[in-house]
Amino acid sequence: MRTWLVSFARRGPARYLSHLDTLRAVQRTFARAGVELELSQGMRPKPRLSLPLPLPVGAAADDELALARVTDAAPSARDGLLALQAASPGGLDVIALRESPLRARPQPLRARYACEVRGDAGAVAAAVGAFEEGEPPRVVRRGPKGTKTVDLRRSAGAVSCRATPGGAHLEFEVRYDAGTAARPQEVIEVIADKAGIEPVLHRLRRVEVVFAEAARAQHAPTQRSATT
Amino acid sequence: MLDSSTASRHVFQEDWPPDELEDLLARVVRPGRYVGGEFNLRRKPGIRPRIVLSYPDAYEVGISNPGLQILYELVNDRTPAAAERAYCPLPDMADLMRARGVRLWSLESAEPVAACDLWGFTLPHELACTNVLEMLDLAGVPLHAAERGEGDPIVMGGGPAVADPWPLAAFFDAFFIGEVEGRMAAIVEALGAQTRAERLANLAAVPGVWLPHAAQAGPVERQVFTDFACTPPVERPLVPLVEAVHDRVVIEVMRGCTAGCRFCQAGIWYRPVRERPVDMVVAAAERALAATGYDEVSLVSLSSCDYSGIDEAVRRIRALRPGIRVSLPSLRIDSAATSLAGLAAEQRGSVTLAPEAATQELRERLNKRVDEAQFDEAVRAVFSGGFTGLKLYFMIGLPGESDDDVVGIAAMAAAAARRAKEIARGRARLSVSVSSYVPKPHTPFELEPFAGEATLRRRQALLREAMPRHVRLSLHHLESSLVEATLARGGPGADRLVEDAWRRGARFDSWTEHFDEAAWRGAAAAAGLALGDPAGEGAPWGETGSMAPWHAIVDARVTPAFLEEERRRAAERATTADCRDGVCVSCGVCGAGVEMEVLA
Repeated sequence: MRTWLVSFARRGPARYLSHLDTLRAVQRTFARAGVELELSQGMRPKPRLSLPLPLPVGAAADDELALARVTDAAPSARDGLLALQAASPGGLDVIALRESPLRARPQPLRARYACEVRGDAGAVAAAVGAFEEGEPPRVVRRGPKGTKTVDLRRSAGAVSCRATPGGAHLEFEVRYDAGTAARPQEVIEVIADKAGIEPVLHRLRRVEVVFAEAARAQHAPTQRSATT
Repeated sequence: MLDSSTASRHVFQEDWPPDELEDLLARVVRPGRYVGGEFNLRRKPGIRPRIVLSYPDAYEVGISNPGLQILYELVNDRTPAAAERAYCPLPDMADLMRARGVRLWSLESAEPVAACDLWGFTLPHELACTNVLEMLDLAGVPLHAAERGEGDPIVMGGGPAVADPWPLAAFFDAFFIGEVEGRMAAIVEALGAQTRAERLANLAAVPGVWLPHAAQAGPVERQVFTDFACTPPVERPLVPLVEAVHDRVVIEVMRGCTAGCRFCQAGIWYRPVRERPVDMVVAAAERALAATGYDEVSLVSLSSCDYSGIDEAVRRIRALRPGIRVSLPSLRIDSAATSLAGLAAEQRGSVTLAPEAATQELRERLNKRVDEAQFDEAVRAVFSGGFTGLKLYFMIGLPGESDDDVVGIAAMAAAAARRAKEIARGRARLSVSVSSYVPKPHTPFELEPFAGEATLRRRQALLREAMPRHVRLSLHHLESSLVEATLARGGPGADRLVEDAWRRGARFDSWTEHFDEAAWRGAAAAAGLALGDPAGEGAPWGETGSMAPWHAIVDARVTPAFLEEERRRAAERATTADCRDGVCVSCGVCGAGVEMEVLA
């Protein structure tokens, strides 16, 4: 069994896929490329493929990571890359591939997001300040197991804001090693609420993902701008 | 680390989609259904004629329709035209589009549908009618063909629902009657003319085309694709990236069915039987699996167990790709069929059998040549073969049906449940699905009365009461059946009812959660109808003895004498043999180059 770390970009129509849709599209790309994935054990075997950090629906990304366990019959990394590139749908662009000794799924440490919001840039800037320094911004999540209050500031911060025509460009960081992580939409909703603007994300993009130290050494080369 | 700088595929830039679409997509549920991007998508920018193909339902339903996949591949890969697609936006998206003045766009180019040369709709059933109006309106195309001008696309309808085009006649410039594959090149060529009037005149000369707003003599003969058996099935289908209703390779092994069920419109509409060679089926399955990445192949037709090469095709596909599941959508009621299903999908948990009616007398009226012993044998085979679930499909409201026939459904389910308990012990699940029968044009029952709301409601209650508690009963939404009955045999003027219902808010009528009963009842009342009565001037046709209006437009190739004889035989409980078995039933379809083609 071999492990491939596949770096890919998500753009265009693929931005609007859910995490499961994205996983299925990557899996079908492997099947179309003729690269056989290892199957898990048990009653209902599943291909051993994971995307360590789900992307929100609507988010573009330049450099995402997929970890795939391929069979020994899989081609070389060079041939595998070409086959995956030819087999992937438009918008899901395979950038790079390397064989890795990794066995466990890499743990994300932090990610940086960027988006545009529409409205008064001055009000957005003031709301960003309040997000970072005022009352702790909290959101309540409701699920089948009950409700949960999440303090967004524990995991989200380093928010920057600059004025754009008709609105503002925001960038912020979410940490994944500090308990329950904030969702990008939640960060924007809190800021929009304080700024009195509509909480709609435009051109949401995950700019960068940093993985835990042990893993980072293994796939640092994938964490750079796309070349396609 | 290996990099690539030689991407030959379409690369999307950061500014895709355009701002106005991005703004909508950020606000709707499941935006992935509005953006395309599928595997095997074709892009032919700048090519004319530009044809937009539509299935008037949500993306998840439309992308699963094999007919649209056939047309998409045919137009893009075998004609100089470009085919793009559009589906019906759900109400959340439709509301936003109207509020912001955004027009319906195609998934391939994100360009307005209204700017295409031909807008072709696959019309699957009557409950999609209001969605056609919704799409025309969202595209900014005038609803009525009579109001369209030089800059508007030609709107053309095809598919099984054009067996009676009257309920949509006002909204279409043209209809294609029958199977279009053999005429697509001529249609594309017809679009090359300079003016709209010339293009319509050219289309009128294509066999199978009916222009509702032009004087055309006599009924239009239903077109049969006579090269079906020597034309490979779709081998590079679109593969959706968001979850769809059906997510698998579809290989059409056979077209047509001659079992002769008297209620079945498809059994008439797709005659005669034509079978594809097994070698072609297996090769197509192999290529389609490679092109899609799917792990399941469905060998489809109206009755795949009747395909002469079914056993060989299933065995060869499984031998070629051992991990692949091969499924069959419909099974005959006999043990051989269930054994075949076991071979096709060893891990499949359930199987569906369709007795249609519970008593021998009623089955004979329908020409379902199945008796209780065969049914029992099939149920035994299902559970002995390792299946743990069995679904039985029935109809109520059939011609000649009594309350006893309906209670018989519960008795039949109880017998199957006993057999299941005996063989499969506690693991067996049994469910019964019951829909309401709606008489359809061009069938032997086309002039039979619809059972009506009160009768169907009472019989549904009877079923609920009689059905054993441990059998899961699923009853089809009654109000939808009433609308279906009103439109299925609509005559001239039925289109006014459709438009009125749409203006009152009706759309997505086949979705229980979107069905607007008040809109339909209001529109029917305004037209002086009770929901369930046929719409249109001169209805009901059976009582007046006048010629049914669909026969004035559509010649389905079966003779009136055949339909009348079959209706008479139904009343006498006389069954009619399958013409595949060597006895011609003189239905009138074969001749003039149209023949049954079965494998030797």
